[in-house]
Amino acid sequence: MTHGTNHSELFENLRLELRRGSLVLAVLAALKKEQYGYTLRKTLELQGMAIDEGTLYPLLRRLESQGLLVSEWREEEKRNKRFYQLSTEGKAILKQLLGEWESINESLRGLV
Amino acid sequence: MAQELLDRYLKNVAKVLPEAQREDILQELREDIRSEVEDKERELGRTLSEAEQMAVLKQRGNPFALAARYRQDDRSVAFGKRLIGPVLFPFYVKVLSFNLGLTAVVLGTIFLALGLSGQNVSSGSMLSTSLLQLLIQFGIVTFIFTLVERQSAKNPDKWDLSGTGGGLRFKKIDMSVDPTPMPRISRLESVSIIIACTVALIWLTGVRSYPFLILGPAAAFLKLAPIWYHVYVPIVLLTVAEIARATINLVKPDWVLFRQVYGLFVHAGGLLLVYYLIRAGVWVAAEQAGDYARGVSITNQLIYYGLLVTGALSGAMLLVRLMRVIRGAKGGAGGVGGAGRQVMPRAR
Repeated sequence: MTHGTNHSELFENLRLELRRGSLVLAVLAALKKEQYGYTLRKTLELQGMAIDEGTLYPLLRRLESQGLLVSEWREEEKRNKRFYQLSTEGKAILKQLLGEWESINESLRGLV
Repeated sequence: MAQELLDRYLKNVAKVLPEAQREDILQELREDIRSEVEDKERELGRTLSEAEQMAVLKQRGNPFALAARYRQDDRSVAFGKRLIGPVLFPFYVKVLSFNLGLTAVVLGTIFLALGLSGQNVSSGSMLSTSLLQLLIQFGIVTFIFTLVERQSAKNPDKWDLSGTGGGLRFKKIDMSVDPTPMPRISRLESVSIIIACTVALIWLTGVRSYPFLILGPAAAFLKLAPIWYHVYVPIVLLTVAEIARATINLVKPDWVLFRQVYGLFVHAGGLLLVYYLIRAGVWVAAEQAGDYARGVSITNQLIYYGLLVTGALSGAMLLVRLMRVIRGAKGGAGGVGGAGRQVMPRAR
């Protein structure tokens, strides 16, 4: 294996790790407005936070079981879709997480 | 998108999903895939080709791996590093339960016979025999599944839904209708059968030389009757035949009729063996003639009833299988190479 391949693999792993840490924040922020899974995925992708289905749907279920999201099955365009939205607790947590994120950003700016 | 292809993908996902949420998750996944396909078709102004439809599913990854991500329990086997991951774990448990269950029944019968005949076998001896047997089974099954896990981890993207190396042959159909998906034999089911039969084969080979493996502590004063040595080769051949069948279905999962017809012959062969065994009348004998007459008699009686029940159940199952094959042949469903698939015209 060449040094270049090592470097790019290492960068990719660290990049994924960094983004993974921000996914919950991104999903919670995107769900201030009610959306169903597919449109949520598109919204995140458009904002440069692409997330694969195998990660998104289990994450949505986990956040819902933690009480941060609420969901309901509803018919739209003659099809049943599951719509997700932030719960009251989710809104409060999102606010706190955003504060934390700002603080991390501030700290990093001071360091780099 | 082809309903058949989507159904097959979701059917595989369903196998590993937690039961309580299964329907809910499948409905959501189905909706997501449909939305994506429609989106792409709108963008391109045409229907997606077969390869493009498959690419949509491929992007989601191996269906078992996808389903495993919904399992919050993350069940796996690890000894330091992970040996068997959450994808194979449910199948590992199934094979292990079957093998350990069978061993427990055999040991239970022996101990019961010993107890009823008044033989003095210490609880320590019973415990150590049982533990040894169960450990051997556990070790072999775990080892084989570890090898399978390592192999599949090397090629996480090497999967398809056709069983014929990516040669998909489906027609465009409406997703809002409910056609019957083409029957397929799950590859993991085939792998599980190969593993279970290989373990059985190793065990059978061992039992021939070391009757202790089946008789436990009773091997000190009991021995297997000659009939077992007469049927040994046919039993091995039937086990090998089943391994061969599962290997063929691993490569050709759409050969459903092949499995059904082949299975009939193997099943009939098994029934014939049971018949010969019942006819033998004696299945265990005393190491020293004249000794332990009561123990030998009770053990033989228990084996006789066990064989009778096995024969009756096996005969009934053979009839059911035969009727299934006849019904399948009449309906033309599930033939070699996948005859009898039902498709509906696409409505847009």
